[in-house]
Parts: sequence; structure tokens; C-alpha cells
Amino acid sequence: MHQLITNLKLFWQGAALSYVALFSWLRPTTFLASMIIFPLGQILFFTLLGIFATGRDSASFYLIGNAMQITASAGIFGVTMAIGGERWAGTLMYLFGAPANRLTIFAGRATIHIFNGVVQVLMGLAWGLVLGWVSFAHTDPLALGITILIATFSTAALGLLLGCLGLVTLNIMFINNLVYFLLLLFSGANLPITALPQWMQYISWSLPLTRGIAAARFIVDGASLAEVAPLLVGEFFIGVGYLVAGYVLFRIFEIEAKRRGTLEAF
Amino acid sequence: MFCSDEFIRPPRGTIEAMSFIARYYAPSIFMRCGCDAKRRMANFLMNNAIQVTNLRRVYKSYVGVFRRKLKEVEAVKGISFEVAAGELFGILGPNGAGKTTTVKMLTTLLLPTSGTATILGHDVVRDVSALRPRIGFIFGGERGLYWRLSGMDNLKYFSSLYQIDPAVQAKRIPYLLELVGLKERANEKVEGYSRGMKQRLHIARTLLNDPEVMFLDEPSIGLDPVAARDIRRVVRDLRDEKKTILLTTHYMFEADELCKRIAVINKGEIVALDTPANLKRVVQDLSVVELEVKMFTPDALERLKGLPFVDAVTVQEREQNSLVIVQSPRGAEAVSELLAQLNGATVQKVTVREPTLEDAYVRLVEGMDETKKEGAGSK
Ligand SMILES: Nc1ncnc2c1ncn2[C@@H]1O[C@H](COP(=O)(O)OP(=O)(O)OP(=O)(O)O)[C@@H](O)[C@H]1O
Ligand SMILES: [Mg+2]
Repeated sequence: MHQLITNLKLFWQGAALSYVALFSWLRPTTFLASMIIFPLGQILFFTLLGIFATGRDSASFYLIGNAMQITASAGIFGVTMAIGGERWAGTLMYLFGAPANRLTIFAGRATIHIFNGVVQVLMGLAWGLVLGWVSFAHTDPLALGITILIATFSTAALGLLLGCLGLVTLNIMFINNLVYFLLLLFSGANLPITALPQWMQYISWSLPLTRGIAAARFIVDGASLAEVAPLLVGEFFIGVGYLVAGYVLFRIFEIEAKRRGTLEAF
Repeated sequence: MFCSDEFIRPPRGTIEAMSFIARYYAPSIFMRCGCDAKRRMANFLMNNAIQVTNLRRVYKSYVGVFRRKLKEVEAVKGISFEVAAGELFGILGPNGAGKTTTVKMLTTLLLPTSGTATILGHDVVRDVSALRPRIGFIFGGERGLYWRLSGMDNLKYFSSLYQIDPAVQAKRIPYLLELVGLKERANEKVEGYSRGMKQRLHIARTLLNDPEVMFLDEPSIGLDPVAARDIRRVVRDLRDEKKTILLTTHYMFEADELCKRIAVINKGEIVALDTPANLKRVVQDLSVVELEVKMFTPDALERLKGLPFVDAVTVQEREQNSLVIVQSPRGAEAVSELLAQLNGATVQKVTVREPTLEDAYVRLVEGMDETKKEGAGSK
């Protein structure tokens, strides 16, 4: 029991400090801005655009989609920095020379960004409520909370995979931006998945967030947790899939770097 | 496996016991131990902390964008040495000699191409998880810290990587910060530290897990003399605490002052391995003539090297002039003939002195290069 508490403390210590160490735009003011202003920017732009294109009635469609999509900011940009940033800091030798469990390091890197993501999504929804674009009159708050958490988890899992790509390739920011905008298109945040050509729909359903956004829309409209359970289970396992793929890549990177002598290569 | 010293430490708790069994018995079930056990026992009896046998590393890389050609560099060419427990062992060598490559292999960060190395009885390839908690290492320079964290937080973070109990951390981190003289600045961000402070923080970092064996790869690289002296002071304290230390350096006096034994390595091979005093004997029959020369030309260098009684010549370019260091058995008697070869150039100062470790080093490294060149020429 004591050992468990110690391990939890150590996990938290590593997660919290690596978060501060590797999150590049972390200054108190920019941090607050990213928590409050960024969600506002995202929902204002896309919801107004959506209202302009399709009418006032569809405001909640765009609002929920984009509020959920905000999680990709922490999940993609934050998490990739938390892994890929090690190369930039020159700390890979010390990281991989340490005895720490690799899965713990790996998972620890995403933990706080997941909290971040959840807060940003809630902020986006709150802005929507203030602006009168959404009503939570029929919404089960617990179900919505679970949906947000799962969608954020699976997005962060994709971020971990991309972060590992960042260890291998150098131009991670390009990949990040590309993925962020692809999610914007494929996740169904801004247009119904069914409006996409068939082949694009396959991509949509293999990405995180798609099911989460769909579930969130149902829940806000009054669906129960049980009704959206298939979507949430799917979203969760998509996340697990990316997590496993990312972890495998992380280990392959370590083993290959050790074999080829490229651990600190630039 | 009975000579594995983990065996002596009794496991705590069921999970630990199970992982203990998995880690230490499974390998022997798969017959990995065998002769390894014998070697470990021998090591244990000889009290060697580091045992390196025919260690070799080849780097393969591809050059060119379209027609990719495989390029191979044999960075370490089968070296062997051992370091006794509590010894401070130096590796000295010019750029590209293979020092860092050797240290990387010994610290589990790079796989050897062939050969073996054991640290505290753990094989550096197979017993990685048992070895890592017991060693510490630095790869010189100021990178490798998180600049956005304070010195204190850096140490906390690395403690979590070494699974050091927070209660232990609370005592050890302040102690280490004090040891390396960073107590006052502990809560400032590392980005504001000077190079010397960063490198001292690195030393504190390697000491977090109280390692039994430490690898310091050029810990004082790029530091001014005062900052470098601070590092040497810390290293000397560690030596006095009987830590086993493997130190690589470019600075002779550092090696001379600190190390009990030194391996001089050049182009991946050990060219000499002895105590500093014995290494100096390589040049005891020589004297050193130092000439401060204005406008020293490559021609003059060739002429000096061509003299029959000259063993080695090195040139250090300075702001005002060049310092030409000539090793020769003739000492003072050689001066007039040396000057004769420098016709045209202005000689500002001539000194004849006893050889130092640096001269021994130059002779060892240069001497080897010369034989190489001759060998290549006769083919
Ligand atoms: N990752 C790598 N890939 C290819 N070649 C490498 C790599 N690392 C080192 N080398 C080559 O191996 C040789 C030995 O390099 P190493 O870094 O071990 O030397 P060193 O003694 O530490 O030198 P220095 O004093 O400059 O630090 C050099 O020729 C170097 O170019
Ligand atoms: Mg080096």
C-alpha cells in the first residue's frame, strides 16, 4: 500500500514536471488565454460560419462539434510537444538511460494535457451557453462529462503517436497542423459525416473524436448514457488503439536508436 | 546466479518478489547464465567495478540523397580494460577518438557491435534494468536539462525517473544542491544559469540515485578555468568518497590531477594505459623546447618535423604568435638548429622545460599517427 502511494506520487511528480518542462507556450498569461480565449475563438469562428451557411437552427450542431474539437489543441499540440520536445531539449539520453518504466513515462506525458483538454471543452460549451447557441435543459451532465473525457483521452492517444513520430522525424509542427485541420474536417465537427464521400467516411470512423462528437450531440439533445454507449466504447477503443501504436513506436524508437546510435542525433 | 549481488538483498512484498523471481530466475532458466556467472565471480573476487573486453562499435550511416552509399565508421576497435571499485579511471584522447562512444556503450545507451562489458557484474546489454539504477552518467555540455524548470525541479523530475522515494528526495536534493554550490539559485529557472552552473547541476543529477559507478564524459567541457576547477573539486570529493568514476577529458592536468590510471585512446584503440607518472616516463628521455614564433609557416613546420632529432612538433595558434612545442632528446642543445630552420620568422621567446603529461599524450597520439602513415605509405 505504501509502495502504491509512493509510486502514485512519483507518477504525478514526473507527469506534472514534464508538463511544465515541455509545454512550450506555458506562461501564466498565455496559459489562461489558451484556456479561455482560444475556445471562444474556435467556437465563434466556426459556429458563426455555420449559422451563416445553414441558419440559426443548426447553431448547436456547430457549437458542440467545435467545443469538442477544441480538445485536439491540448491532445495534439500539447501531447506531441511532451514527447517530441525531448529531442529538442537534448534529454533523450538521460530519459532512456533511466530505469523508469517506459509505459509510465509515456502515459504520464499525456495525463495533464487530458485535464487541460477537458477544461477547454467545458469552456467552449460554457461560451456556447452564454451566447445562447446551446441549451442543456435535457442533458445528463454525467454522461456528457464521460463523453468529453473519453474523447479527450482518445485524441491525446493520437497525440502520443504523433509525438513519437516527432522523435523520428524533425518537422513535427507541420504534422501537427496537418492533423489538427484533418480532424477539423474528418471528425464531423463542421459537417455531417454522411455528407463526406464514402472513402472519407472510412477515415472519419478510424480517427478519434468522430464518435465522441456524435455522442455529445445526442447527449445534449437528451439521449442517455446507455443509448450512446456503443459510440463511447468505440471511441475508447480507438484511443486504446492509438495508445498501443504510439507506445510500440516509442519502444521501437528507443531500441532502434540504441542499435543505430541515433539517440541524440539532430 | 548466486554470485549476483541482488540475490543477497531480500525482496520485499509479494509483487516485488514475483518480479524478482521473473527477472533473476527466468534468464538462468533459459541458460543465459553459464559462463557469465563465472566471469561475474571472477570480477567479484578481483573487485573490478568495470570490466571491458574487446569492446567494439561500428556506426553505419548512409550518405548522399539519391544514390545512398553505406558509410561505416569503426569508432571503437575492440578495447579492453578494467576499473577497480573505488578507482578514478581516466580516458584521454583527441576529438573523435571514441571516448563518448565507449561511455555510451557502458551506460546502456548504445549497443556494442561486438565484445562485452560488465559493470558491477551486470552485463551492459542483457542486465540493463538491474544496472541502470546503480550507475550515473553525464555527457558534457549544457544540454540535457529542462531549461524551463528550476534547478530544484529538474532534480525532482529526474528523481521520479529513478523512482526515488519522495521522502528520500526531500533530504537528498537540498544536500546535492549544496554539494555543487547551487543552493542559493536552486529555485531559478535553468535557462538563466551559466554554463558552469548547468554542468554542476548535471553532476547533482547523476548523484540523485547515489550511483556506485559514475561515468563523466568531459564534465568540464567549455568551461572557464574557475568553473572547471569547481567541477574538479566536486569530482575529487566524489573520488574521496570512494565512488568508482570513469572520466573522459581533453584536459591533461585534469587527468593528471585526478586519475589513478589513464587510458590514452586514439582512433578507437588504447595506445597506452598506465598511471600518470608512468605515462610521463614515455617522454622522460625527452626535453621540450617551446618557441614563440611570429608568422610561423607550414613549411617551417615540415622542416622542423624533418629534423632527425625531433620526436614530435605541435603548434598552438595564439593571438599574437604561434607556440611551437618541440619534443627532442637533445633539449637545450637542439635550440640553435631549431632556430636555423625558422629563418625568416621572428622568434620571440625560447623556453626549455621538463616534459609534462600533455607531452606524453602528444607523443603517444602523434607517434601512433606517424606509424599509421608510414604503414599506409609502404602498401
Ligand atoms: N551516431 C553516429 N553516427 C556515425 N558516426 C558517429 C556517431 N557518433 C560518433 N561517430 C563517429 O565515431 C567516432 C568517435 O566518436 P566519439 O564521439 O566517440 O569521439 P570522442 O572521443 O567522444 O570525441 P570528442 O572528443 O570530440 O567528444 C568519430 O569518428 C565520430 O564521427
Ligand atoms: Mg565525446
